[in-house]
Amino acid sequence: MLFLIAKRVLTAFVTVLTVIVLSGILIHVVPGDPVTAMMAQSVTATPEVMAEMRSQLGLDLPVWQQVVLYASHVLTGDLGTTIRGNEPVARLLFERLPNTFALAVSGLSVALLIGIPLGFLAAINRGRLADTAVMVIAVLGVSIPGFWLGLIMIQVFSLKLGWFPVAGSGYRNIVLPALTLGLTYCALVARMTRSALVDILAEDYIRTARARGLREHQVLFVHALKPALISIVTVVGLVFAYLMGGQVIVENVFSWNGIGRLAVQAMLERDYPMIQGFIVVFASSVVIVSMLIDILYGFLDPRMRQR
Amino acid sequence: MSMVPTTTIRRRALPWSVIIGLGLALVIIILALAAPVIAPYDPMRMASGPRLSAPGLTHLFGTDEFGRDLFSRVLHGGRLSLGIGLTAVLTGILAGGLIGLIAAFSGRVIQSVLLRLIDVLYSFPDTLIALALVAFLGPGIGNATLAIAISLIPFYARVTYGLAAAERAKPYIEAAQLAGIRSARLVRVHVMPNITQSLIVMGTLGFSSAILSAAGLSFLGLGVQPPSPEWGGILASGRNYITKAPWILLFPGLAICVTVLSFNLIGDSLRDLIDPRRKSPS
Amino acid sequence: MRSRLRKTALRTSALMLSLGALLTTLPALSADLTIARSVDADGLDPQKASTTQSLQVTNLIFDTLLTMDKDGSVHPGLASEWSMSDNGKSYSFTIRDGVKCHDGSVFDAAAAKASVDRALDPATVNPNLSSWGPISGTSVDGKALKLTLSEPYGPFASFLTSIQAAFICPSSVAGSEFKPIGTGPFKFASWTRNDSIKLEANTDYANVNPLVKNPGKPHIDTLMLKVIPEAVARMAALRSGEVDMVEPSLEEAADLKADSNFKVYSAELSGQQMLAAFTWKIKPLDNPDIRKAIGMAMNRDAYASIAFEGLVNTSNCPVAPNLFATDEALCATWGVTYDPEAAKALMAKAGYGPDKPLKVKLLVHKLPGWDAMHQIMQQDLAAIGVEAEIETREVAAFFDHMKGVNEKTDGEPAVWTMGMSGVDPDYLYFLWKQPGFVNMGLNADVDAMLEEQRKLSGDARAAKIHEIQKYLMENAYAIPLLSPGWGWLMASTSKVDGFTMGFSASLIFNDVTKS
Repeated sequence: MLFLIAKRVLTAFVTVLTVIVLSGILIHVVPGDPVTAMMAQSVTATPEVMAEMRSQLGLDLPVWQQVVLYASHVLTGDLGTTIRGNEPVARLLFERLPNTFALAVSGLSVALLIGIPLGFLAAINRGRLADTAVMVIAVLGVSIPGFWLGLIMIQVFSLKLGWFPVAGSGYRNIVLPALTLGLTYCALVARMTRSALVDILAEDYIRTARARGLREHQVLFVHALKPALISIVTVVGLVFAYLMGGQVIVENVFSWNGIGRLAVQAMLERDYPMIQGFIVVFASSVVIVSMLIDILYGFLDPRMRQR
Repeated sequence: MSMVPTTTIRRRALPWSVIIGLGLALVIIILALAAPVIAPYDPMRMASGPRLSAPGLTHLFGTDEFGRDLFSRVLHGGRLSLGIGLTAVLTGILAGGLIGLIAAFSGRVIQSVLLRLIDVLYSFPDTLIALALVAFLGPGIGNATLAIAISLIPFYARVTYGLAAAERAKPYIEAAQLAGIRSARLVRVHVMPNITQSLIVMGTLGFSSAILSAAGLSFLGLGVQPPSPEWGGILASGRNYITKAPWILLFPGLAICVTVLSFNLIGDSLRDLIDPRRKSPS
Repeated sequence: MRSRLRKTALRTSALMLSLGALLTTLPALSADLTIARSVDADGLDPQKASTTQSLQVTNLIFDTLLTMDKDGSVHPGLASEWSMSDNGKSYSFTIRDGVKCHDGSVFDAAAAKASVDRALDPATVNPNLSSWGPISGTSVDGKALKLTLSEPYGPFASFLTSIQAAFICPSSVAGSEFKPIGTGPFKFASWTRNDSIKLEANTDYANVNPLVKNPGKPHIDTLMLKVIPEAVARMAALRSGEVDMVEPSLEEAADLKADSNFKVYSAELSGQQMLAAFTWKIKPLDNPDIRKAIGMAMNRDAYASIAFEGLVNTSNCPVAPNLFATDEALCATWGVTYDPEAAKALMAKAGYGPDKPLKVKLLVHKLPGWDAMHQIMQQDLAAIGVEAEIETREVAAFFDHMKGVNEKTDGEPAVWTMGMSGVDPDYLYFLWKQPGFVNMGLNADVDAMLEEQRKLSGDARAAKIHEIQKYLMENAYAIPLLSPGWGWLMASTSKVDGFTMGFSASLIFNDVTKS
């Protein structure tokens, strides 16, 4: 077990390191000059002003030197400063990370609350019309563009019904974006729940339980659901990663002040240090969360624990 | 989405969801192909009718802010959206497949480096990769398609690697390698035929994700440029009419949902069929 | 009798007291104003900020040396009086007595000098550095700030009224990090980036700006500037009463205007002007006739009424109406007018027609209203046999791209659009003097005229500016389109009263009350 944890931590670390180097290289493979882009709106930026800015950003050094410099800065917690506004990237990102996590966790909860019962329903009605209907509904969720659903939610729940505020980052503001995300990603959870349960229901011990004359609901809830839930833990990491990605657009629709908003803004403005910082922080969060879930799974699953 | 290798689809009756999906997909593809014949108006012509008129008999889906016929635009938009999806998926499968095969049939060092890279990129949702790429490449239908294709590469590389690695572990490959047959030939003659079927199934899933990505990019103004009637683009330019003329948002949105749903249904169910972990006989 | 009188007097005074109490408490009950904009400020350092969204905020915190009235006349600001030497090379500004910074310190001539010195320091990387003109020396003489110029600079006084020329207090830069401390009507309270900026009324404020009626502290106590990027969400927030004022979506602005529950404000003094330009170095757009034909194809009335929902006007000059020496009637005689038939004839003369269309790119950037305008423009051009392919970019990427495109002498010809704003026609200098803004500079003749107008003043300068405008339009280097012309409209609920928009789309809240 300890070996397993060590291995997972090491893998996660190597992955994060790769991401850092990749994002350090990124700025050099893209067309266009960041300084020109950032001064674009200012008509009076002289070539001297631009040159000054370029050297302040270290853009006049050789590429490999910049990448090494970038990686070593990142490892000491310095992600550079934004081109627009000249603010520390790390501070901007970490100020917003709690908001992003709060929304991701809320969205995940919604996805689990909807997805698990749906998957359960589908599994116990396997092959019947109810199975198809449930899965079609679940897949429908993942087929709706998040931004579209978000706009409709604002129109209905904020404007027509007045139940929730439109924009901001308070606790009442979280409901609509969490619902949008949850509805989008519940299909993943439902499908995993269904297939896990279908597998388990075919296991010998379930047959034994049934043969012992246990009530069907006892078989389902006590003997089948519990192990199924354990294997669902493995998809939680995956759903989380997808959710974080979908969140980028949803944060913009709902003016949720998370790192996704920051990222889209930076992408549109070509604020390279900000984009690089986002990639590093985003990838690290995804990697670390999935590492923790893997380890958690190791504790939950007796077969893994014995190793 | 864990990818597990397989060789054949077990023969049995197709589930209902696949039939529904196939039916819907067929209707959508026919409508898109026949758009020039069916569409009552030129999708680009302004003032085909009064501005912002509600759905009715003359304009089935209503008209947009320029008086263009929305029904005609949604029909023609289907050609664009499906075209982008198809091009992106084919490019993604070719490039990703190649990388996956190289990873499966090369030495330990190259293999682990490639796998690590693939895993890192795979941890990023494809929409996000496409978004970042297009922000750098600049907008437009070509760049958007390219960005979406690239964003699908990690997914297909991963799938192909899984399939090919499993194939490689089979005794006949080992025997062939011992017999001195080169990897390239092995892949072409033995491995490819065995994994294409699974790749095609995965293709339908990538297809729906590509259509969603394209819509998302257009929504942010980075995808297909107006006045081309791509679905996400119609949504993006019409979103501010949500109170005045909600039909501009409703119909293209529904078109995206139904299309993505149909391909997801096909891909999802077929994947369950080819997934050998499904021990349970049904 | 006496007692009754006393009683009445008592009652009256009681009534007056309570009325007075009502008057003071009523606004105080709801003295917070919340505004939602689409984009946040980049920074609050007025000497480093370049976007209008940033300057809209810094203009609330900081004052300018001079101010400008609606008619373009220059009035006192932080300087109570000022004078220019006969040779136009030295200026003296007497700093008003009793001006206090937000931290309580006194704003005097020395503070003003420090602010100018910082604005001019290359290390500041001030994006508006060249607008300050050829200043060669700064000094303090008693209560006066003295500035010497190496040569006369006509637009200097107008520039000093602009939101780019804000004066900061010395305490702003006392620490290692910039603190937004100024003398303006609002004090900085807090900022959550990309979310909200909170400002509080400056209780010591004394106003001299001719655009403002309220002589003292703003009526509202706090001002919250929120960011809601999605227009649909912003409009929902206004309609549900979550915010008092928004940057509306153009599509709904016309409806709001007709609705008595809302008010719409447009930045009439913005100095904003939209124009179409050409890659005139690339064949066949080097031919002025083709440029004219394209200009004649553009139905500007349709852009104003359909794309901008009738909220903007067509304009005839390469600089915005209301600015110095801008004569719309005169410009109309120099430029082209909408005439697709004549345009077709010009195209035919140049060898283009329905069977041989001219293919161009229509390079544009993304902004509300503009997107729709370009789609109509594309159809206009198609009508005279010009096939235009629209390429839309985000603002930053667009100008980056144009810089390269304007340098080229071959390749695909392009028509492009842009907007410009300012308080003086001197922005012609920034745009058209070689190399020019995004390399759009023209030639040595134009350069010479642009240099010359800077050294002139009064009628002589006006005549020179007319000469430049005539040149630009007769050669069809620029096709003026609309003004004010971009998204800086504001809309509020009808509860908000007294809001106005000033020059360069600045927001003026001094007179705002909320019922």
